[in-house]
Amino acid sequence: MGAETRRKSRGRTGGSTLSGRGLRKSYGDFEAVKGVDFEVYAGECFGFLGPNGAGKTSTMKMIYAAAVPTGGELSVVGLDVIRHDREVKRRIGVVPQENNLDEGLKVRENLLVYGRYFDLPRKLVLQRADELLDFVQLTEKAEAKVESLSGGMKRRLLIARALVNDPDLVVLDEPTTGLDPQARHLVWDKLRELAREGKTLILTTHYMEEAARLCDRLVIMEGGDIIARGSPGELVREHVSPQVLEFRSDPASLTALRPILEEAADSVEEGGSVEALLAFTRDADAIMERVRESGIKVENIVHRGSGLEDVFMRLTGRRLAD
Amino acid sequence: MQGGIKIPSPRGAFRVWQRNLTIFKKYWKSIMFPNFVEPLLYLGALGLGLGTFIRQGGINGQDYVAFIAPGLLASNAMFAASFESTFDTFVKLRFDKVYDAIITTPVNAEDVVAGEYLWAGTRSALYGTAFLVVLVALGLVSSPWAVLVPPALLLIGIMFSVMGTLFTSLIHQIDYFSYYFTLVITPLFLVSGIFFPVDDFPAPVPQVAWFTPLYHAVNVCRALASGPSPVVLVDVAWILVFTAVLALVPIQIMRRRLVS
Ligand SMILES: Nc1ncnc2c1ncn2[C@@H]1O[C@H](COP(=O)(O)OP(=O)(O)O)[C@@H](O)[C@H]1O
Ligand SMILES: [Mg+2]
Repeated sequence: MGAETRRKSRGRTGGSTLSGRGLRKSYGDFEAVKGVDFEVYAGECFGFLGPNGAGKTSTMKMIYAAAVPTGGELSVVGLDVIRHDREVKRRIGVVPQENNLDEGLKVRENLLVYGRYFDLPRKLVLQRADELLDFVQLTEKAEAKVESLSGGMKRRLLIARALVNDPDLVVLDEPTTGLDPQARHLVWDKLRELAREGKTLILTTHYMEEAARLCDRLVIMEGGDIIARGSPGELVREHVSPQVLEFRSDPASLTALRPILEEAADSVEEGGSVEALLAFTRDADAIMERVRESGIKVENIVHRGSGLEDVFMRLTGRRLAD
Repeated sequence: MQGGIKIPSPRGAFRVWQRNLTIFKKYWKSIMFPNFVEPLLYLGALGLGLGTFIRQGGINGQDYVAFIAPGLLASNAMFAASFESTFDTFVKLRFDKVYDAIITTPVNAEDVVAGEYLWAGTRSALYGTAFLVVLVALGLVSSPWAVLVPPALLLIGIMFSVMGTLFTSLIHQIDYFSYYFTLVITPLFLVSGIFFPVDDFPAPVPQVAWFTPLYHAVNVCRALASGPSPVVLVDVAWILVFTAVLALVPIQIMRRRLVS
């Protein structure tokens, strides 16, 4: 089931659980978040997509009270974060960008000690710890040292830890950055399960595929601003044509090709760091025909559907990730 | 914007203290050993070695070993709390990110610092009590008032934890701790009346000593080891006031480091 169908089946009945209005964050003279507005509804998975330095982590930290907003309003689970920081933190789960598991404690102990910070009864925490280890598939590692875990396992343990207090809202800052594809898919599965259980998820990422797969709605951030918002499908429909042809070749061929593409396609972009031209179109066959007629030799042509990466490039002229 | 002075919650501080206890229970044997042996070395080397030269009636009618033993209780608490609040705290703050994890829960940054004060005090009391047992076994401490030594060491530990945390909250590189130990802790150790009575020195030595924390800590321990006079209440009051006045300062600075 795709994110979009899920959103339709769940609707926006939950009411707003997180809202930012003109939210700003400065570090000294530097403005990292420049007055952003967003609203997240209960039960949805909401993404903040953007390259490094966009201001995603700063925004997340304001949400979980690890950073104080320089201006604007921010309410989380219906409470003003600055005035009710403890209460907000009691009711949310946090997976930080940087791993901060307690290295002095074993895997299971990490959950038990973390549960104490919430004043949860010992019996309840013991039971939840086992359930959560099972959920993130770390039961066999329960008595292992944290340092012996792989990157993917650590991330899963961080997710389990964020669920110890059974929060309605979980904030995940780059939950899969640095993981290999297999570990990433496992994390995605877990997040989808959480979404199915009805938890509200907020996640940041610079992988467009991750945002497209998981998020019901998202905002694209760049340089401290939100530059676009909507569901993944809406964003793509709104900003780019449905199909992309990627032409890779030597610079001379591409230069010759460019006027042909510009005439035939809806729009043409340069392919970031690689020597490539991207033609956005509704009719790839027609373009292919024109290119063939021209007789220009192209080394490699890829035909694919357009995505959020293309939206980002259209809006900023830059690529999203590495 | 940070919203005034932050007062810690006892509940949150207790949770941080509890976390440290959980870790301590795993590693106490290896952590405690050096801290426990060190005062014994001083006692042996200085007490017996130097003590042989200070024969005529010892100091104030006391054997030299018996004179320095209670002072070493105080300095041992100072060292334990100082290491805890400098190196250990810095590692948790900067390298292991332990505090970043804790403050995503209902436990706030101010509770973290208060919990660390309490823990450093506890650690001082634990080590000190072990050392006290040895002193009693050696017959160097005999007053029943010595049962008050552990709570006194708790208080002394908290005082030095507040000082150490203040320094930690201001530095950004672990190397700077050698300045703290060389310029603050070692001089205190040498001139606070552990090895010789400072009160008999000409002015301004006793006056200067009066303004240093370890001097009062030594007085308290010495008094409890040999049966106290009411004068010791002045030392206790000094420690309480000094600690209370200073305690909120590192809390505010550390909060700014943890919550940007
Ligand atoms: N504590 C800080 N002090 C100064 N600058 C910071 C701090 N945290 C983040 N920044 C800067 O703010 C900008 C946004 O950072 P961040 O919110 O981490 O973005 P992202 O998570 O999208 O990569 C970056 O330029 C970063 O260098
Ligand atoms: Mg980030």
